[in-house]
Amino acid sequence: MESPQQSTTPMPSTAQPRELSRLAALLRYEILDTPEDSAFDDFTALAAQMCDTPIALISLVDDRRQWFKSRVGLDVSETSREISFCTYTIAGDEIFEVPDTLQDPRFCNNPLVLGEPHIRFYAGTPLTSPDGYNLGTLCVIDRQPRRLSPEQRETLERLGRQVIRLFEQHLLAHRHAEQAALQQAILDSASSAVLVTRPDGVVTSVNPTAERLLGYSEQALVGHPLTAALFRPEALQRRALLLSSELQVPVEADFSVLSAPLHRGRRDMSEWRLRHQNGNEVPVLLGVSAIHDEQEHLRGYLVNAYDLAYQEQLQLRLQQIAAQVPGMLFQFHWRADGPACFPYVSEGVEQIYGLSPGQLAGSFAPIVGRVHGPDRSALLISIRKAASELTPWHSEHRVEHPHKGLIWVEARATPLQQADGSVLWHGFVTDITARKAEQLELDKQQEMNRRLLEALSEAVIACDAEGNLTLFNEKAKQWHGADVAPLSPSEWAHHYRLYRADGVTPLEPEEIPLRRALNGEHVIDHEMVLLSNGAPRHVLSNADPLYTSDGQRMGAVVVLHDITERKRIERLQREFISTVSHELRTPLTSITGALALICSNVMGEVPESMHELLEIAQQNSQRLSALIDDLLDMDKLHAGKMRFDMLEQPLQPQLELALRSNGSYAERHGVQLHLGACPPVNVTVDAMRLQQVLSNLLSNAAKFSPAGERVELSAQVSDGRVRVSVRDQGPGISDEFRARVFQKFAQADSSDSRQQGGTGLGLAISKELIEHMGGQIGFESEPSQGACFWFELPIQGQAKESP
Amino acid sequence: MAELRRILHVEDDPSIQAVTKLALEAVGGYEVLSCSSGAQALEEVEAFAPDFILLDVMMPGMDGPQTLLRLRERIDLERIPVTFMTAKVQPSEIEHLRKLGARDVIVKPFDPMQLAEQIRSIWLSGRY
Repeated sequence: MESPQQSTTPMPSTAQPRELSRLAALLRYEILDTPEDSAFDDFTALAAQMCDTPIALISLVDDRRQWFKSRVGLDVSETSREISFCTYTIAGDEIFEVPDTLQDPRFCNNPLVLGEPHIRFYAGTPLTSPDGYNLGTLCVIDRQPRRLSPEQRETLERLGRQVIRLFEQHLLAHRHAEQAALQQAILDSASSAVLVTRPDGVVTSVNPTAERLLGYSEQALVGHPLTAALFRPEALQRRALLLSSELQVPVEADFSVLSAPLHRGRRDMSEWRLRHQNGNEVPVLLGVSAIHDEQEHLRGYLVNAYDLAYQEQLQLRLQQIAAQVPGMLFQFHWRADGPACFPYVSEGVEQIYGLSPGQLAGSFAPIVGRVHGPDRSALLISIRKAASELTPWHSEHRVEHPHKGLIWVEARATPLQQADGSVLWHGFVTDITARKAEQLELDKQQEMNRRLLEALSEAVIACDAEGNLTLFNEKAKQWHGADVAPLSPSEWAHHYRLYRADGVTPLEPEEIPLRRALNGEHVIDHEMVLLSNGAPRHVLSNADPLYTSDGQRMGAVVVLHDITERKRIERLQREFISTVSHELRTPLTSITGALALICSNVMGEVPESMHELLEIAQQNSQRLSALIDDLLDMDKLHAGKMRFDMLEQPLQPQLELALRSNGSYAERHGVQLHLGACPPVNVTVDAMRLQQVLSNLLSNAAKFSPAGERVELSAQVSDGRVRVSVRDQGPGISDEFRARVFQKFAQADSSDSRQQGGTGLGLAISKELIEHMGGQIGFESEPSQGACFWFELPIQGQAKESP
Repeated sequence: MAELRRILHVEDDPSIQAVTKLALEAVGGYEVLSCSSGAQALEEVEAFAPDFILLDVMMPGMDGPQTLLRLRERIDLERIPVTFMTAKVQPSEIEHLRKLGARDVIVKPFDPMQLAEQIRSIWLSGRY
């Protein structure tokens, strides 16, 4: 510290960091510009007296001025910092003394020296805060030059230290007042009711929430024992008894029931029903804390009362909501150290597990006990898994309900990890017995359907509206060489191919029966060939579109029936008939020829006695030839080996030819053939086959007509077609026979055939021939009114209407 | 122009052979040589010097068409017409047989009373 006399340095700067901290320290005391205080004035008066000076000041130096907290012998309350002596004092650590201002170059021109108050002497001691900042000075001033004695200097320093203590006290008192105001504000605004008592339980303070909750004003309660004012004596007695046994000490039925547990180190929260000023009871949860002073003396108790009425309302509302929910709602708490419990379960637990909420208070075990034995471990594993992964939990398990028997329940919950490591679940459980039963029934039905489909000897394939395969049964897999359902259509060709019935023409995609059905078509008995790994398989397919109950198309189904074996047998039969017929024909040719030669007498006159027998032999050998011809024709037609040489030609000459060719046969039956109207139209036919048909129809008509009648052949045009009719006067077609007329070996009466000499194949062959030539065949007949057989062919070229 | 007198008939079935021979000899008054195979026909044809050859299509060993091809090497089919007898009546087959050099095709079973007349018509159809 430099000596003031020698120092020529300018005034200490106010902008240094240390100076800023000093100003902060000064402001913390909150003493600047405070009113006069006699406590401080005592010190200035004492300083002036001890130092024998007319003026003494307690000066506080801020950034621009010095302000006097207390002054003796001076009227002004502050002066500018630039001209202040104290600025020099606070720059050092000890008394700053100026014995004669006029002799000191720092002060000789100071306005306080030259003018009022004409300072000639100054001595100041710094006021140093406990944390080391010089806040200001305690200084003495005289109008005469002089020096302080050592005793005076020591006194001044001592007084300075006392002033700082006073500052500290001032600050402390200020803080206390603030604290008290804060506490009051907290109490006033606390949402819980707070009552403060003395150690003996007499109320000293009540916050507004408590006033509202209990209906008493603070004045009405202060000075009264808390328990006597608000608690019911019976409740106090019950509690006292309980605590006496718990704590093993006698507890009186008074305020002790609240304070006693506290003194045993317990901080209980207990439920009480307090008396409201209007006589009602208020449910509260009480918490009690002891208030101690700094010396650990008991000063009273703080009683917190939480309003449970609101909680009870919430509880009630939850119960009402939970009662509306089918099944049970629950909150499940699983602590990290093992035990599990239900903080909440709705009444529905009765319905699901046959337990009351009370039975679940402590433990999870009663519920586990109700779970059907075989389902228990899976249930517990799923809970553990969800708890460890914190994923939503879902379980379906069976419950052995004491009244309902075995029921199915579904449980869902969401686990939430708590701060203490435990897991809290919120969830619900519902009875799904009915749904489960339906599901099981449905499963059974589906299983049944599946087995049925697998047991079928048919392949069954179905697809949805988009054409994706939805059903592909076992036979379908076998026949297609693979389960192609999961494969894309482009891969199907790797496993199988489809051909038309001829076995060589690949099926176009739009010809595939399932595709056709998907387009709305009903496909009936469509024959095709399925080639997978193995021999080709001939199948008949029947396909139909599938519709939902409201008529929406939902897909299609096709049933494939294997006819490979049937085809093989048919082929064998045909081959057999063909072979036999061919083999029969050669000997028959000899027999027929030989008989013809004998009967014609070229070998010599046949005796009259043999004539009739030879006639019979000849007729029957001819009939046998005709039968064999028909059989071979039928075979060719079925094998698709019969060639048709179709040629457009006039119809009339064909009818005339038929009339000529069959004339002699008719005459043998005593019947006349007659050609009626015939329009000049062209038809495209194989003439030989057309003659075959006409022969069949004409010979039939002749055979069945009574002798002397006539058979009429005629033709009419209608709708671009020509109808050729053969009308007879025979017995007509009986109702029983109508349906079988065009079937193979069909004859109205089996006795007829022999009598009438037919093969039973004529009409069947005629039908095939006409259909191969693009026409249709039919008949009209009333019994005993004759029959009219007809066929229709498309008219070719320039069709001319009947003249 | 020569007259139709001698007919060579090739047929493996003896009954047909007999009936045909009868029909042609008794009804038509022709001279008939029956051969039971194509090979026999090839042996006999030059010696017999037929005016007309009637050839069965289906025969064991050498069948009708094969026999025809071999005959063609030895005789003038324009002068000695060959006609097939067959049960197969497809027009395309008839066309095929004609192309081999056959004059015509007679369909089995034939009418023995009309066979001679049929052959005579065929024989005449080649005359211009």
